[in-house]
Amino acid sequence: MSKLAIDGVSRVFPGVRGGPPTEALTPTSLAVADNDFITIVGPSGCGKSTLLRIVAGLDQPSSGRVLLDGSPVSTPGADRGMVFQSYTLFPWLTVRDNVCFGLRERGVAPARQNEIADRWLAKVGLEGFEHHYPKMLSGGMQQRTAIARALANDPKILLLDEPFGALDNQTRGLMQEMLLALWEAERKTVLFVTHDIEEAIFMASRVVVMSARPGRIKADVAVPLPHPRSYTIKTSPEFSALKARLTEEIRVEALKVESGALVGG
Amino acid sequence: MTPLVPVSGTRKVALGLAFFVLFVLAWSAATFGGLVSKTFLADPLTMLREGWSLFAQFGFAKDVGITIWRVFGGFILAAAFGVPLGIAMGAYKPVEAFFEPFVSFARYLPASAFIPLLILWAGIGEMQKLLVIFIGSFFQIVLMVAVTVGATRRDLVEAAYTLGANARGIVRRVLLPSAAPAIAETLRLVLGWAWTYVIVAELIGASEGIGHMITDSQALLNTGQIIFGIVVIGVIGLVSDFAFKRANRALFPWSAA
Repeated sequence: MSKLAIDGVSRVFPGVRGGPPTEALTPTSLAVADNDFITIVGPSGCGKSTLLRIVAGLDQPSSGRVLLDGSPVSTPGADRGMVFQSYTLFPWLTVRDNVCFGLRERGVAPARQNEIADRWLAKVGLEGFEHHYPKMLSGGMQQRTAIARALANDPKILLLDEPFGALDNQTRGLMQEMLLALWEAERKTVLFVTHDIEEAIFMASRVVVMSARPGRIKADVAVPLPHPRSYTIKTSPEFSALKARLTEEIRVEALKVESGALVGG
Repeated sequence: MTPLVPVSGTRKVALGLAFFVLFVLAWSAATFGGLVSKTFLADPLTMLREGWSLFAQFGFAKDVGITIWRVFGGFILAAAFGVPLGIAMGAYKPVEAFFEPFVSFARYLPASAFIPLLILWAGIGEMQKLLVIFIGSFFQIVLMVAVTVGATRRDLVEAAYTLGANARGIVRRVLLPSAAPAIAETLRLVLGWAWTYVIVAELIGASEGIGHMITDSQALLNTGQIIFGIVVIGVIGLVSDFAFKRANRALFPWSAA
């Protein structure tokens, strides 16, 4: 049985001011195996974030259902950790208290909370920053804290919505390595949304390509590159071949979106 | 001058003081120079002399104390009821839909217009003064707090939900701390307005207080005392505002301000 089953999930947004409704996502199915690292890549407007938000329980599907370990999800919960593209650390809490947020909500003893938080902060390389406030951290450090905060809850699946989208290229590369090393060590089930093809291939065991308007899954490509992966793999012939293939798939979709936008005015 | 370029600390203080000096100089020129009759406007030295006699002979310190008590009493009463109601309205949309139209209406009712009614209901004692300030502050606090809480960043609320927070956790651990600095700033602003209401309340039906002293001085055409009373209010306002600002900065070190 798969860890996460997305079963015929669609999302239609009602029309704005009497306009026609927008179909953001056609009925979509996807099975995620335990310990899998799946990236979802596609042009903007392909519904990849909508799909992730439905899995998180932050949005409701118009049809279909999401099963986690066989039981349907409808509301957000601590069993699905989420990292957002925007910086969502609580600015009034220190780095450590941010990581403790979910644990405290569950009534874990304070000493145990700090123990867990410090362990995860060490894993994301933030030892010594426990008492800093988020505004004192760089963007990369804030997202590392957000990852530690989600993982401290020990979720069944980690959902990431373009978590490195706002970072500069160098930082983004380092963050990818950090998250990949974390996954290689912890073997969490991960669903990672991005629009960056190179990022999608580097991280994933499977890349799911989505097409736009309406959003649907267009291709599901296994990434047979060996683990542990180092950043040098990005220049290997196998990586380049995969990148060329996925780039072509997404280019066709991006072209459709652009020409559609031109025709539609 | 280049737009939006900040000035250094010392220069900022010097510029701020410079205008006070300029203001007093213009006042002195108008009064000592004989441009304005003493009947209408006392000169700065006369004002200081009158101020001294107010404290030394007429027990003005007691008036000042009474007025400060009334302002803070009415203000704290308004905050004690207004802040919780504002939070409830900002957090829960049905509560907002229930109260918001009435509060928006009540906010435009001038507090001073209630004075005759309040004298009828509560007499000319302390309760009437407190109620004037309460009416003037309460509705403002409710609306501004509701807007602040309602404007909490949605992505922080969503992050808290994905971390396992329930509705109560969202209010207590996201909405409240997120809105706290802006609520404190709202209270600072409204305290300033409370000072204008207390003087109006004391102009009618009071036997003590700064406003009462000003009415008495008007009957005696003592413009020196009137101006001194106004200056005292300004100084107290400045001091309390400064203290409020410092407290906010100490309480919310994580906030941008």
